[in-house]
Amino acid sequence: MSLFRELIFPLIAVVAAFFVGGILILVIGDNPLQAYGLLFGSAFSWPVGIGYTLFYATPLIFTGLAVLVAFRCGLLNIGAEGQLYIGAFATAWVGITFAGLSPWLLIPMCFIAAILGGGMWGAIPGVLKARFGSHEVINTIMLNFIAVALLSYFTQYHYKSPGDPIMQTVPIGEGAHIARLGGFIPGLPEFIPLNLAFVLALICCGLVYIFLWRTKWGYELRATGTNPSAAEYGGISVRKQIIVAMTISGALAGMVGINEVLGYRYRYYDGFSDNYGFTGIAVALLGRNHPVGVIISALLFAILQRGGIPVDAFTEHVTKDIVQVLQGTIILFVAAEAFFRGPFAKFGLLKRSKV
Amino acid sequence: MKSYLVFVLLLVCLFALFVSGCNREDYGADDKSKIRVGIVFDIGGKDDRSFNAAAWAGARCAETGKWPDGKSCDKPALGIVLRDIEPGNPTSIEPAMRAFAERGYDLIVGVGFAQTPIIELVARDYPNIRFAIVDGVSSLPNVASLVFKEHEGSYLVGMLAARTTRTGTIGFLGGMDIGLIHRFKEGYEEGARAVNPNIRVIPNYVGVTDAAWNNPGKGKEIALAQISKGADVIFTAAGNSGLGAFDAVEQQGMLNGRATHFVIGVDSNQNMVKPGFVLTSMVKRVDNAVYEIIKDVVNGQFKAGFHVYGLDKDGIAYAMDENNKELIPEEAIKQAEEARKKIISGEIKVSDAMMK
Repeated sequence: MSLFRELIFPLIAVVAAFFVGGILILVIGDNPLQAYGLLFGSAFSWPVGIGYTLFYATPLIFTGLAVLVAFRCGLLNIGAEGQLYIGAFATAWVGITFAGLSPWLLIPMCFIAAILGGGMWGAIPGVLKARFGSHEVINTIMLNFIAVALLSYFTQYHYKSPGDPIMQTVPIGEGAHIARLGGFIPGLPEFIPLNLAFVLALICCGLVYIFLWRTKWGYELRATGTNPSAAEYGGISVRKQIIVAMTISGALAGMVGINEVLGYRYRYYDGFSDNYGFTGIAVALLGRNHPVGVIISALLFAILQRGGIPVDAFTEHVTKDIVQVLQGTIILFVAAEAFFRGPFAKFGLLKRSKV
Repeated sequence: MKSYLVFVLLLVCLFALFVSGCNREDYGADDKSKIRVGIVFDIGGKDDRSFNAAAWAGARCAETGKWPDGKSCDKPALGIVLRDIEPGNPTSIEPAMRAFAERGYDLIVGVGFAQTPIIELVARDYPNIRFAIVDGVSSLPNVASLVFKEHEGSYLVGMLAARTTRTGTIGFLGGMDIGLIHRFKEGYEEGARAVNPNIRVIPNYVGVTDAAWNNPGKGKEIALAQISKGADVIFTAAGNSGLGAFDAVEQQGMLNGRATHFVIGVDSNQNMVKPGFVLTSMVKRVDNAVYEIIKDVVNGQFKAGFHVYGLDKDGIAYAMDENNKELIPEEAIKQAEEARKKIISGEIKVSDAMMK
């Protein structure tokens, strides 16, 4: 019953958002059924559509998990964007610097670089909060700017192939490429960039779940998030938990770099992230801060991202902005969930939840 | 129990949505008897009033025989199906191109040099589809590279700038510090030197990242700095950032009905942006190039490789209209026209910064 209750409100929010979006499309002058047909048709067509949808979901699962872990400790990590950039650059740097090594050595090194890079960038606001009490929202968002600008500088002046007008580094060594799933799954063409990072993302969901709900450390972390004073009283070091949570959060965000650099572009590309870090906040929120919920909501956002392109191209009036409106509406409805909770409770359909 | 009912109902709703999606493999029902053209814009989008806008104008002209604003473009409509995508972020460019390729479009146009590696990737997977890249260079057998001799046009506006300046100092405001923009700068310098060997040229760039195309504030700062060093004509090749230089020269005001400082526009005809202050615009006819490549595909004459647009094929020009005809003396134009003929005939060689 509790799982059902967790699921129903996001579900209502999604359906309501599609309904509102449909009215909007109608007003603009297109047929909503046709537009949604394009959206879902391209997102679920086998193999290209599904391949791309899962590829788009991968970074969102990572950032959704990152936001989730911090949130469970009572922290709002708005810095996933900066952390994923640092992670991506770190992994690219290892891939470029040690390009000659064998894959058995190089790939683990690249993975560790992404995790350490993101983790370090996440730890900074954690330490600042634990030591000096400075607010993590401000610090993480400022660190985003620093990360982006710093990496633009390194890309432009130190790691670009000379004369290349595109802001990207030189390619990483062949040994650092991770396999695309097209190599394993029959019928899935290899040009689809869906790669092993997707599997890694699913594994991370499992690990985060086990960590948070099946270990002592996870319990301490969640206790801190629920009530820091009580946790402190119970002998948990709140400061330590804040640092741990932010580090894990950053490390998860940093793993986006594995998908992007080792699995797709094989180089660091300046500005590659389509606001994954910020969408991650919505993914975690919509997923009720649970790893399973994160997978589901990451898929939903990936469907919108994949389907937005044909909706833009093959309808007469609807542009990609409408898909963004849809995304925004979903978030709005989820955030304003009490709006739905109220009437349902009133009509006795549901007992008022204790959340 | 009632709550379960609601839940099931919701699931049914969602399911209906998905099914409605899955049954529509026909997508937008394009007329397959016609030539189908897909165009993928740069991050800037089709309303940037400059480079992307010009590509869109050319494609629109091929589709309807009219410019996007509804005026006739003096060329026949080619009876094509035209679809466009504004990717908005770098991750969406590749799937946008593939969206057209998967549906078997006849020609896919990528706008902007940044799309070159992506268009090559997609073109390898679809050898039977024709591609065109504006401003980029590819050697694949199914990709046409639409490039422009920006240095030649810059040479001519450099001459006009040198004829106009009273201080003997002119400015150049570049966007991103890259080879393509150096090409504008060197042509401009050479043209100016051809008129006045002692002229002083002050070159500056807005930045080194993509953001350099979209920072009018910094563009204005740089232009004001150049003016304070004595520059009284400034050539901009900086996309949206260049509009800052327009503000800067307007701020200097007029003396006896004539502006004291001038700016030279770029890509599209920008003479009407600040009439009286814009000496001329170095126009890059991306619209012509896009129209021509579509025409080639319609006529079955598509050729891969370089399509070079210079002064000869109306690919590059300086814009003269009612807004600036008072600003440039007859003889200056006569001189520029002579140089134009000499460049076309090869008598004058303008050095190309990208070929070094």
